[in-house]
Amino acid sequence: MSKDLSNNSLAIFPSSWSEKRAGRIPGNIPIWVGILSELTEFGIFFVAYFFAKFHYPEIFAAGPQSLNTTLGVANTIILLSSSYFMAKAMANIRVDNLPKCERYLWLAFTCGCLYLAVKTWEFHWNDLQGFSTNTSEFFTVYYYMTFNHFLHVGWASCAILWVIFRLRKGAYSAKNNSGLEALAVYWHMIDLMWILIFPLLYVLR
Amino acid sequence: MKSIGKLEYYWWALIAITLFNTFLGEQFDSTALVSVLVALTVMYKGLVVIDHFMELKQANRPLRILMRSYFIFFPSMIILTVLF
Repeated sequence: MSKDLSNNSLAIFPSSWSEKRAGRIPGNIPIWVGILSELTEFGIFFVAYFFAKFHYPEIFAAGPQSLNTTLGVANTIILLSSSYFMAKAMANIRVDNLPKCERYLWLAFTCGCLYLAVKTWEFHWNDLQGFSTNTSEFFTVYYYMTFNHFLHVGWASCAILWVIFRLRKGAYSAKNNSGLEALAVYWHMIDLMWILIFPLLYVLR
Repeated sequence: MKSIGKLEYYWWALIAITLFNTFLGEQFDSTALVSVLVALTVMYKGLVVIDHFMELKQANRPLRILMRSYFIFFPSMIILTVLF
């Protein structure tokens, strides 16, 4: 593949386009197409939340008090930490410190698994309290948003495993790490979505 | 590349803000002030992740503007709900 094509990986820009002029794109263009699609999807959820809250203010004021806030906080700290570990993995690949990069990727993967375990426990806890998708409009929005986010963390955690495998095979280095960076920006996007979901569902009355 | 100290600083700042937000939500009735404070801190958290963890601060301008706008728009909606 020519150098020009690697900078314009979908070949969707005019030949005059260059990353140098447009500004660096972390990861690659295809992952940003994915990220922007995901942001649109979650954006629709957020708009639905605000519409529902406008129409059912009492239900949405009472909803967060029914949830297990401790588990929500735990998951927020876990995801913020995973983002930090991912940023550290990127910092280490850029200095060709592969063992440290791998260690931070494992830490990020562990955070992903911890998040999934805590969230599963939370769904179980809700079930024990008698809450389900049909309990109220708040819980419909809650399950719709959080389960969707849960799936994103699940497949992104699998992607971390794939990147670790590729790293061990020598696919990434200080000069060639766009695949690893693509996963990193996707992971940060998942963290960003939780940063918005957490206050909407657990904090604001 | 971000210096090591900065990443740690932002990591702890994000966790501290999360705990502060939770404290606000748990200890105080939902007032306009609480909602505005939560919205502003959420905005700050988002911008920190976008600028320093995603490293968009010095990257492609349209992507940076798009991401930042997202994290200004939705927290602003929280402030807007206070008015209704």
